[in-house]
Amino acid sequence: MEHGPRDDSARPRLSTSRFVLLLLLAVLFGPINAFADALNDVRGRGALRWGADEEGGAPFVFRDREDPNRLVGFEAELMERIARELNVESRFDQAQWDQLLPYLERGGVDVVVNGYEWTAQRARRYLATRPYFAYQFQLLVRRDGPVHCWADLRMPKSGGGRWRVGVLIGSASLTTAEQLGGPAVEVITFPGATDAMLAARNGQIDATLQDLAASQYYLNRPEFTELGAAGPPEGLGYYVMYLRPGDEKLRDAIDATIVSLIDSGELKTIYQRYGIWTPAQELLAKYQRREATLVGQEGRWLDPSMLARFLPSLLTSAGMTVLLSVASFPLAVLLGLVIAIGRLHAPRPIAMVLGAYVELIRGTPLMFQLFVLFYLLPELGLVLPALAAGIAGLAINYSAYEAEIYRAGLQAIPDGQMEAALSLGMSRRLALGRVIVPQAVRIVIPPVTNDFIALFKDTSVCSVITLTELTKQYSILANTYGGVIEFGLAAALLYMVMSLPLSWFSRWFEARLNAEESAGGAS
Amino acid sequence: MITVRGLVKRHGDLEVLNGVDLDVKRGEVAVLIGPSGSGKSTLLRCINGLEVFQGGSVAIEGAERLEAGCPERVRSRVLATVRRRVGMVFQAFNLFPHRSVLENVTEAPIHVLGMSKAEAEDRARALLARVGLGEKLDRRPRQLSGGQQQRVAIARALAMGPEVVLFDEPTSALDPEMTGEVLGVMTDLARDGQTMVVVTHAMRFARQVATTVHVLGQGNIIESGPPSAVLDDPREEATRKLLKAEAAAP
Repeated sequence: MEHGPRDDSARPRLSTSRFVLLLLLAVLFGPINAFADALNDVRGRGALRWGADEEGGAPFVFRDREDPNRLVGFEAELMERIARELNVESRFDQAQWDQLLPYLERGGVDVVVNGYEWTAQRARRYLATRPYFAYQFQLLVRRDGPVHCWADLRMPKSGGGRWRVGVLIGSASLTTAEQLGGPAVEVITFPGATDAMLAARNGQIDATLQDLAASQYYLNRPEFTELGAAGPPEGLGYYVMYLRPGDEKLRDAIDATIVSLIDSGELKTIYQRYGIWTPAQELLAKYQRREATLVGQEGRWLDPSMLARFLPSLLTSAGMTVLLSVASFPLAVLLGLVIAIGRLHAPRPIAMVLGAYVELIRGTPLMFQLFVLFYLLPELGLVLPALAAGIAGLAINYSAYEAEIYRAGLQAIPDGQMEAALSLGMSRRLALGRVIVPQAVRIVIPPVTNDFIALFKDTSVCSVITLTELTKQYSILANTYGGVIEFGLAAALLYMVMSLPLSWFSRWFEARLNAEESAGGAS
Repeated sequence: MITVRGLVKRHGDLEVLNGVDLDVKRGEVAVLIGPSGSGKSTLLRCINGLEVFQGGSVAIEGAERLEAGCPERVRSRVLATVRRRVGMVFQAFNLFPHRSVLENVTEAPIHVLGMSKAEAEDRARALLARVGLGEKLDRRPRQLSGGQQQRVAIARALAMGPEVVLFDEPTSALDPEMTGEVLGVMTDLARDGQTMVVVTHAMRFARQVATTVHVLGQGNIIESGPPSAVLDDPREEATRKLLKAEAAAP
């Protein structure tokens, strides 16, 4: 794993608007890399700015339990030491984990330190320090489950299907799991390490591959007593810090400090304090840089063939986006209509319950609702597959909004319409179905279409419950292979291509209804 | 045909009707007149249950008697029968704007009476021809004049074959040149023996068509009788004042 374990709390995903803004920023500020060496800036400023995501949590970077103003974690202490060596102050800057490298590129920080493993793709775009940590992975399973080591996962699963192994999104555990697992393994990505552990405990997945150090830290927590380590640690890789190309002097200064910390045994002391000193850390001392740098070898821009190669996976995830939208929205509209009618026409107690439902659903974030459906319902014995939870979550969330739109639409119909229908002998139900609702539908088409487009984009939130839709796929690809701009533009284009027809369809539908109403207009 | 006894209707503390008795016989045209706020429209709306009343009862021939304060379940059951037998025409027409003229008229026969579409359309065409709108079947209500819309509304009420038709100020929302066409249709209906209860300010219509004129004032009927008696030789001072005011109105 390259990113630390996280809290169970919801983490905001990249919204489409933020994502476009980010693209713009990346395009505007991307080229300003060719500054003088950042080491001078750091000295001049008197502060070394380093970026990490606190949500990564212990043991990487987190707030002290006793004093929430104090930043602790082995990476925080490491940066403290490096800054002291440079005679400057250590200044932490919070950013969402998968946005840290773009943030670095924009000049927001001087160095990114947050469990990023060394990869060839990243080394082409950024300057890497020497390793400061050797990571390994540990397979975690339910103690009473059928899996006891990776070898079990290579054998067919009883009852058919593939073994489901959870990993942290965008992390090295993803590639490790894919390499270790054979055809019998399906790798599922989670937004946080503890989310994957919860899912493993709930039985929603068969196992999870976690950072060895972090898993030891978390296995002690009471909610994970059903989980245990299966087999020996797997994989081995280095965490490095990343800097902007051209900042070799700063990089060398950091490298020198890391070496001195290793040699003095101080690094070991820090790591032992966090319980993460493993035998593998001995490798850190033996590391020797094999090449000057890889930076610039392939240029800043992604090879277009890369984009072509991953277009199918972008399209597949776009398909998931469409599936989530078209499956959930009709449900939301139907549910919303029933709620709106109930609030206006049902007996008072029912109307009040429905009103409370609307307030509850509107008052809580979609992401929280998805967490409840996917991670908390299993505690009550209801295990929903991710797709079902995603569709249900979107439908429930949007039903509250549709209900309010419909309520407004229904109230816009004059009372005389209901009276006329009743006086013709219609029951209330028939009057609603034949007279009131058909008129209300015409009024609500524009706001409902708006909501459909909003829901369409909100499907990206479903990535928190392991569904790989377009935004998540973009995030995975951009993190794994670089190409924030290229993959980003491709994803944005796909969103546009998919949502434009929606707008067109809605305009056409409205025009058709209007034409129908003035049919026979020529006298 | 209609028997109203001791009808009491309150809006909060305000007593709109305070114990009204009313009888309408089959084939009769009962016209309700009175100053605004006298409760005449409310009385009409109590007859087909659009208003809930707090005291007394309303009985329509062929349906259970509707008593004040009866359980909701009983009320819906009684009204289901009552509303099939009692049609209503509103001041604001209340046509269904999303349906054509023809569909406005066939909607209830098809979905309430279970009539076949073909039969309902045949009858609707005949009714619309009778009110002079045989050529406008496919129009939408908003493409018609007010007078035309009100005539469609009359055809719509008649399509259910009602025993009684209630008219709630059917010409009050119309320009003077259009009131004639609507009153003409109503006069024809009365001649054909249709039982009608009409709330109106159209005194000439009342004089020519009414069997009985009921004058309402302060929540009750203060004077009833044939138009010749009530309109030409009123007993009550309030009726005289009302007639003077109506005569002065444009």
